[in-house]
Amino acid sequence: MAEQRFIIQRYDPDSAESYREEFSLDVQPGQTVLDCLNAIKWEQDGTLSFRMSCRHAICGSCAMKVNGSSMLACQTQVSEAVELGDPVEVAPMGNQTVIKDLVVDTTKFVAQFERAETWLEPHEDQEPPEREYRQTVEDFDHWSHASTCIHCGACYSDCTVAAVDEKFLGPAALAKAYRFVMDSRDSKREERLKFLAETEGGIWDCTRCYMCVQACPKDVLPMDAIMELRALSIEAGYTNNHGSRHHKGFASGVRKRGRLDEASLPIQSVGITRLLTLNIDAHKEMLGYTPGAIRLLKTRKLLEAAKRHGASQDGREHIQRIFEEVEAEKHHHDVDADAFAAEFETALGSG
Amino acid sequence: MKYAFWPGCVARGAAPELYTSTLAVARHLGIDLVELEAAACTGAGIISDGEPYLQDVLNARTMALSEQMQLPLMDICSTCVGVHRLAAEKLRDVDYRIRINHHLAPEGLEYRGSADPRHLLWILLEDIGEDRINSLIKRPLDELNLGPFYGCYLVRPERTLEFDAHPTRRNSLERLISMLGATTVTYDGMTKCCGFPILTTNKQNSLTMAGTHLDEAQRMGADALVTPCPLCHLNLDAQQPDAAKVIDRRLELPILHVPQLLGLAMGLPPEELGLTRHVVDTRNLLNRLGV
Ligand code: SF4
Ligand code: SF4
Ligand code: FES
Repeated sequence: MAEQRFIIQRYDPDSAESYREEFSLDVQPGQTVLDCLNAIKWEQDGTLSFRMSCRHAICGSCAMKVNGSSMLACQTQVSEAVELGDPVEVAPMGNQTVIKDLVVDTTKFVAQFERAETWLEPHEDQEPPEREYRQTVEDFDHWSHASTCIHCGACYSDCTVAAVDEKFLGPAALAKAYRFVMDSRDSKREERLKFLAETEGGIWDCTRCYMCVQACPKDVLPMDAIMELRALSIEAGYTNNHGSRHHKGFASGVRKRGRLDEASLPIQSVGITRLLTLNIDAHKEMLGYTPGAIRLLKTRKLLEAAKRHGASQDGREHIQRIFEEVEAEKHHHDVDADAFAAEFETALGSG
Repeated sequence: MKYAFWPGCVARGAAPELYTSTLAVARHLGIDLVELEAAACTGAGIISDGEPYLQDVLNARTMALSEQMQLPLMDICSTCVGVHRLAAEKLRDVDYRIRINHHLAPEGLEYRGSADPRHLLWILLEDIGEDRINSLIKRPLDELNLGPFYGCYLVRPERTLEFDAHPTRRNSLERLISMLGATTVTYDGMTKCCGFPILTTNKQNSLTMAGTHLDEAQRMGADALVTPCPLCHLNLDAQQPDAAKVIDRRLELPILHVPQLLGLAMGLPPEELGLTRHVVDTRNLLNRLGV
């Protein structure tokens, strides 16, 4: 048994006072942060408030910040927490309003699932099955990683975009949306992809910061799901947005010279067609880049970028070849799928 | 010591001071850098937005080039090293490697799966070592309070970066800062996102992120930030005046690249380190060091 110090971030809604309070207690090997919070509440201060239920990383109610990162208190051993900082600092989740001590208002987090309509929309022309809607193991395997979410909010709490933008759907709701995009029983795949690619606070607003992947106690890999949604939405043709133009412009620069083309990328991201057709928004966006561009010019950085350092000639040829091969492979794949669909139609007709 | 050196596109573009300061510091450390002239951009997670497979092929090729040279791979950009390592992780799968190697064969290349891409910052701590660095310090940075700014890919995901096997990676910047005699200023934003990846898609969000971290570091008493990521440098330095407007605060915080900081401590002249080429003026900082 060893004495361990905890510093707990507290908030009293009656006096609207927030403060940090230190507690010490004897900790047994194997005890979790949640065990300690319970011990403090039972033996030292009955007013300490936090959420908990299952104590087995199932219900998702005990997410909080331990030494600055969001995690489940019931899944975090004190010995692990100490490695990240001693005394152990416990604080409520981020990006949400605190109600009392470690309890936050999850309304905003929950509302994002509703906005993304994360429930099954079965095919309407199908008779509902007698029992549940079923799918094959293979179909399930496509999205099984995203099925384990317990809605604890740890990812949302650490998300760097949610921190600055209330409209961002956030990692958990986006991972859940991905789950339904991938679900063979769902009828709204296209509508979902369109919405996720075009709505404010959708898939293109994620910064790829990996916070959610790091925070998630269930290995949902929300960011990976968001990246897959990006690729799927491009494939489905929802490309009239800044994010996919940026992707396309970036890739075409690398294809030409083997390296990023900083000088022309902003123009490509805003959209050459949009600029040429005198789209007002496009020109405003372009102006948005200009102050930065003038500063870069002053420090001669833009000149350096405009020199367009590329890969060696030999390298360029192979890089271009790789772009072509990968594209051809994709095309080949499409042709196969088309041929298969045609065969299938014929077979159905004759059967 | 000899490395296959991938400078990354930004060091050879809008952040040329990172490239020149790396070469200068390497020379003084006695490190041989063989630049991967034929290699492609890592894709920076942007090519993989639409074409993850293509991005993996390009990075397999870069790693195969380093294998062919029989040299360890050195990056000088958090994003590059993160993307390289993620590709290396996926390419441990033999079947995937075989599929991808089809695209490398016409060039006589094959990726055998042995690459261990590392950032210059890690190489300083892991290969060069504190003793050697100490022996080269001519101008200790005792006067300075420095805030680390890592860049997402040098701190997450921890599994890919192998923090458990290499615990010094967890706080590599703090280690370097104190090795050079300066004091570390810690603040919440130091491991967060600078916002650069969404600068073109959502400028408001992007600059709010950059501004918030800069403001916090400044309030905590940092004289400058030091970053191993040139993309972070772009958002924190070149965009700093705009970020200040977005969050409505006064910001004046110079941002240094890792080799610039080391170079300063080694007594190299600021011009050689490209310190005169920043958007946020570094003069006050240099004055404090008596340079
Ligand atoms: S990767 Fe995207 S969704 Fe995940 S925490 Fe970062 S910004 Fe949020
Ligand atoms: S994705 Fe992971 S961290 Fe986010 S709510 Fe679900 S279980 Fe929690
Ligand atoms: S108490 Fe249920 S997840 Fe922690």
